[in-house]
Amino acid sequence: MGFPFENATWDGLDGAMFMGWGGIMPGVYTAISVLICVYVLWAGNRAEQQKYKAFENK
Amino acid sequence: MEEQFAELLAKVAQLEANSAVTNTIFAETYYFISIPLMIIIHAGFLAYEMGASRLKNTLSSGVKNILAFAFMIPTFYFIGWWVYWAFPTGLTLSAGPNGISGAEYASSIALGWGESAQYMGPNIADNASGVFFGAFALFAATTASIMSGALIERIQTVGFVILAIVLGSFAWVIAAAWGWHADGWLVTQWGVHDFGAAGLVHAVAGFFALGVLINLGPRIGKYNADGSANVIAGHNMPLTVIGLMLIIVGFFGFLMACIIVPGEAWSWSSTTSASIYGTPMTISALTFNTLMAIAGGIIGAWVVTKDPFWMMSGALAGIISTASGLDIYFPGLTFIIASSAGALLMPLASMVERRGIDDAVGAFTVHGIIGLYGVILLGVFGSGFPAALGAAGEVATISLTGQIIGAIVFALLGFVPGYVVSFILKKVGMLRTPESAELAGLDPTKVPAQAYPEGIGASAAASS
Repeated sequence: MGFPFENATWDGLDGAMFMGWGGIMPGVYTAISVLICVYVLWAGNRAEQQKYKAFENK
Repeated sequence: MEEQFAELLAKVAQLEANSAVTNTIFAETYYFISIPLMIIIHAGFLAYEMGASRLKNTLSSGVKNILAFAFMIPTFYFIGWWVYWAFPTGLTLSAGPNGISGAEYASSIALGWGESAQYMGPNIADNASGVFFGAFALFAATTASIMSGALIERIQTVGFVILAIVLGSFAWVIAAAWGWHADGWLVTQWGVHDFGAAGLVHAVAGFFALGVLINLGPRIGKYNADGSANVIAGHNMPLTVIGLMLIIVGFFGFLMACIIVPGEAWSWSSTTSASIYGTPMTISALTFNTLMAIAGGIIGAWVVTKDPFWMMSGALAGIISTASGLDIYFPGLTFIIASSAGALLMPLASMVERRGIDDAVGAFTVHGIIGLYGVILLGVFGSGFPAALGAAGEVATISLTGQIIGAIVFALLGFVPGYVVSFILKKVGMLRTPESAELAGLDPTKVPAQAYPEGIGASAAASS
């Protein structure tokens, strides 16, 4: 989280410069993104099947 | 005098530094611009599919196309980019001769965690990774869009998205690693050359769609009891034709992203543009050949069909049939090949249709069959060209045998996963929509909006 280096300055910066660089947070963010995609597919499929059933029962 | 000399040296150093910055920004911008141009391909497929759908399925077709794009980007970020760099030498995941492949290399540059994350996010010293990733992610989205049109009006949305992920973030990426990478075994061992991805994008996507179509089955009403096929016309032919034209526009972005610009640390040359294999080429060559291919494809299709849908599909076929060699064909030859592809298109599509394959937009024919046609024809006309940077003897050369092997591998890399994954989805009830929903239309079943809330008038011919 926050500025990834000890001194909050742009001077001498020559590489990665994103929030969480150098720690575990990039991996955590990536893992959460994967979980979001998997969940959306699971929930999306459930909703889609419910819509088909509701339509058939009309 | 010494002072003036030192001043001159300093000025030269400053000029060199400025030149390097200009080149880096040019390279970064070059690939960045290819990305919105490739998004136009997606916009084209969106219009194309929605127009080719009947009124009752218009928005549903749009939803699945938009979702394919949305899921392709993160899944390619999570896994596809790693697969491209890990697999060139085959299933061993070992490093290739250029040292830019294998699991170890891929894990050092293409994962969104650990040390590798520095190349997968903002990095002031890296002007290349993001734009290369973006271009490849859009190639992936293109494969999903190619498949999308073939399956309209009866496929479930989430089932389709899963298929799109398998195709876009895995199947075509393996093909690209093997046949579109300087360390790819198809390139180093067989001299496979597929500059503009006729095989590894188009044929893979087309054959993947074929595998899915076999399990999905035709739309209700497509075939009669005697096996003859009915025409199921889309609701908006102008939208479809404009969509096809947009795809053509976007292809210029697709093809420009196939070039490695010179002058950077990762470039093949300090002075010359190159193909992804490192072989020299120019953007001018691409311009000559792409324009001649579009024209040839349209003319070939017009001669046979006189139908604007097939004429614009012919333009696509023209590009795809010559894509493998757009860097080295002569424009006259490009025109001849593209014309033949345009002329063959509708008869081939009819042949596929007669075999019970309901490919709603002819995607398997245009991308699958014509893609392979293009890969193999390059073996006929381009044999002997070095397939990588170097001379014959040091590197493999293009040959008919190599191109045929490449074509077979690309077809299998598409068809097998397409068939297997769609078979599994069918078994778990996630492939095809229920019959009642298909008959009523997918928009009223599951889309909370209407394509034309005030209705749409019939054309003069239909109403007279």
